[in-house]
Amino acid sequence: MPVDRRKALVFGAALALRLVLLLLFPSLPDLLTGRVEVSTPVNSFKRLQEGLFLYTRNISPYDGGVFHQAPILLPLFSLLPNSRDFPLPTAVFYSLIDLVNANALITISDSGQSVSSRLYSALRKDIRWDGASIAAWFLFNPFTIATCLGRPTSVLTTSGILYAVSNAVCGNSFNAMLALGFASYLSIYPALLFIPLVILCYDIQVQKAKTPSSATLFALKHFGILLASVAGLLGISALIIGDFGEFVSATYGFQLLVPDLTPNIGLWWYFFIEIFDSFREFFLGVFWLHLAGYVGGLTVRLRQQPLFIITSLLAFSPSSSHTRLMTAVMRYTFFASSALLYATLLGPAFYHLWIYAGSGNANFFYAITLVWSLGLSILLADTIFAALREEWELENPEMRGKDVRQV
Amino acid sequence: MSSKPEGLESSNISCNDAPAMSSETVQRPPPPEKPAAILTRTKVIAAFWAVIIFLGFPIWWQTTSIHRARLPIQEMVNWASGKTCRPVFPLEIQFATPSLPVSDAQHLLRTTQHTLDDLNEFSAHHLRLKLLESSNIESNSPDGLRSITEDNADTVLSVRLIAQEDLTAPRSVLHSETTQLDVFYPPSQVPVPSSSNSPLSAFIAEELQRLFGEEKATIAHVLSNNNGADHQPAAVLNSLPPQIAETINKRERRSMKYAETYHLAFSLFTPGSAPSSWDIEAAIQEYLTPLLQAFSPISNFTVDTQVQLYAMFSPMTPQPEYDESQAAWTLKKEDLSAFINAAEWPLSPSIGSGPTINFILYVPAPSQSPMVVKENHATSWIIPQWGGVFLLNAPLSTSQPSNPSHLSKESLQSAFLTFSHQLLTLMGTPATPTSLPLRLQTLIRIRAASLLLSASSTMGSLARLTKSLPSIPIPASVATSVSTTLSHLSSACDQLREGRFAAALASARVAETEAERSFFEKSMVGQVYFPDEHKVAVYLPLLGPIGVPLAVGLLKELKRIIAGWKSRRSSP
Repeated sequence: MPVDRRKALVFGAALALRLVLLLLFPSLPDLLTGRVEVSTPVNSFKRLQEGLFLYTRNISPYDGGVFHQAPILLPLFSLLPNSRDFPLPTAVFYSLIDLVNANALITISDSGQSVSSRLYSALRKDIRWDGASIAAWFLFNPFTIATCLGRPTSVLTTSGILYAVSNAVCGNSFNAMLALGFASYLSIYPALLFIPLVILCYDIQVQKAKTPSSATLFALKHFGILLASVAGLLGISALIIGDFGEFVSATYGFQLLVPDLTPNIGLWWYFFIEIFDSFREFFLGVFWLHLAGYVGGLTVRLRQQPLFIITSLLAFSPSSSHTRLMTAVMRYTFFASSALLYATLLGPAFYHLWIYAGSGNANFFYAITLVWSLGLSILLADTIFAALREEWELENPEMRGKDVRQV
Repeated sequence: MSSKPEGLESSNISCNDAPAMSSETVQRPPPPEKPAAILTRTKVIAAFWAVIIFLGFPIWWQTTSIHRARLPIQEMVNWASGKTCRPVFPLEIQFATPSLPVSDAQHLLRTTQHTLDDLNEFSAHHLRLKLLESSNIESNSPDGLRSITEDNADTVLSVRLIAQEDLTAPRSVLHSETTQLDVFYPPSQVPVPSSSNSPLSAFIAEELQRLFGEEKATIAHVLSNNNGADHQPAAVLNSLPPQIAETINKRERRSMKYAETYHLAFSLFTPGSAPSSWDIEAAIQEYLTPLLQAFSPISNFTVDTQVQLYAMFSPMTPQPEYDESQAAWTLKKEDLSAFINAAEWPLSPSIGSGPTINFILYVPAPSQSPMVVKENHATSWIIPQWGGVFLLNAPLSTSQPSNPSHLSKESLQSAFLTFSHQLLTLMGTPATPTSLPLRLQTLIRIRAASLLLSASSTMGSLARLTKSLPSIPIPASVATSVSTTLSHLSSACDQLREGRFAAALASARVAETEAERSFFEKSMVGQVYFPDEHKVAVYLPLLGPIGVPLAVGLLKELKRIIAGWKSRRSSP
């Protein structure tokens, strides 16, 4: 099959590229691991190694306040040989995760849900890329490669989300909920995707089975599955760690309360450095609400395109690793892409000026992260605009191709 | 919804087949909105506002409301002004009169008590004499003395009256290691029941007055510092001879501020390479631990030690001079303050939370040994509120002058006896009477009084602070601390009244700790300098841009609903 051959070619080339990079520049993974653009305190591979070290010596991995990741990663990664002495197995593991993610993307793309769902069918459905192109676009994206080499654990969250979506578009709603539960267990915010994902699953089910069951019942059932999967994972974690309260406060408490203000390319660290202490809790609430607030609005507005809601919501996630996921699904406008490029090039430079050279200050790096976020916002606004325009043209066929402006 | 750049062409997702039509000149009105679209918009706006109202406002309320726990303000003020508790110190003194019949003994006690009460002008501090009931029975038993010394801690002093034939006037002996006073008297001086006065009772009364004179003065001094309603202590203080007042002031200047825990740091400094070790653990165990145990009702102690070799004097310090007449190297008294090389000797100002008391054992170089203070040939001195120094002139071997490399426990004895004495002084122990247990008990009473007053005044300050700053939060922990403080203060006050001083000090310590904790609670002071108008600057930069589109959207929606409602009402 030609498509399969293309897919195999893309996958093989991607794997080869990663391994070649590793062999040519053996210090590259460690360099990237230390970069703030790739690792945050919540997903850093370095901190994972610290936790692993403590774990393999039977000390609570959360002692010392360095490790803040879910405990289920510990037995998983302790199976791999020490990444300092044998970097290859870890690199292969991460590359495989990338390939798995790409495979999920192909499934999503080939299902055609993005162009024609139950209540909606795109006008321009003939203009779409096939799965292999999207996989190539994803796998050869420099952001993806950098993340793969930098080895943050958030790639597993990404896999969880992608698998949730790919299972959902295949109508496998149970597996979708399990995957979403896994992602939510690793980091909290994927739980926000529950509503659009359930809508997606429901639409698929209605499309397949001609007798639609009650939507409320369907949602409740799946919410139960999600809860059960998260509870199961938490139970396994309690078995691994023993002290349940310590693990919850060290992982979820850490993610929710943001006590570690290590700079990353998000905007929270700067804000919470500057904020008055007595308002800190309030603005934490505001930020999380900001994250959660879009679920309702987007879901109502884009009810007909649930897959698109998920894509849009991912953009609000506090960490940046999902940028590469977005870039895999969309295309840039010139302005957004140049803003992102600008930030990508200047970010490391300004970070160096601030931290190492001492000739800049935190504002330098913060300005760059602002540009980065601006680029992402433009990208997001643009895609939402495009989706809405598409919908509008569908309703008003006579206006197709006309110039529009928002009022 | 997110705002879009105006006129930006939707050329991204999938409309590259649509040519740009911006040049089209015909302006057509946009097609009317469908009801479904309007409904969707309403739903979107409702969704955003639902999040704001049901999640945003509770969070805002929860995180920014100032929690002010209720404090018993009036009670706190009363404590601070001394209205609730007037500390009294009834000192119980037991009399054992093995050689007197009970009636005579009781008469003697009555007359002595009468004389004492006449002499005493400070009613808060008074002595109560009590006859040991069982004295007749136990007088013959060999452990009679033990039973007196081992009785309950509330008895301040035990007096034993012993008849001695060959005396013309009574005399007294105070045991220096127990709280016992032996009074020897000629049997002829026992007061006859008819007389109301006798030389013996006058002697005993005077003796007791003398024993507790310094304590009384110190307590009067402590109480007079409190600006309470009671003017008696100040009057007592003014009536004292000036040298006693001077002694008390001097002692107060020297002694450390009271703390729950003191860190004792013993340091061995020497300018050469020897001695490089000392038998410090055994020395502390033997010479210091008993004293620290005796201090345990008052404060806790931790002990650290260090050895510092090649410890040179600071270049600014005048070097010791050789004095032919004393055959020793001498330090001038006025230069002693510069003896410690604060810049180079590693004497940490604080280990942990409490204050540190430094004890320095200085072993002079063989070329400068022996070293003494010029004026009085002393080898040790105290540094007020800091610690003590001891010059240990190690015995030099005659063949080649060098210090021993190891200091044994025995060679440290004199140093540690001096350090113990310095520790007593630094803790503010009174110099009289000669009995150490008595002095420590006196210290317990002084500390109980001063802690009681200090915790009370902290309560007053906290009450004033919370009244004058209505915007500071008062966490529940502060309210708990305050109630703990108040309950311990009142129990300390009761225990003082009943003469149980050790228990009173224990309560007062708890009260003081809790009072300090509540006053210095960190979360209380966070918002002190945060006026309300600054909150605008905190809220607006982020919430303004978010809020304006939401508010405008809501307004438009409401306007449309109202217009629709009006037109529907007017149409029929």
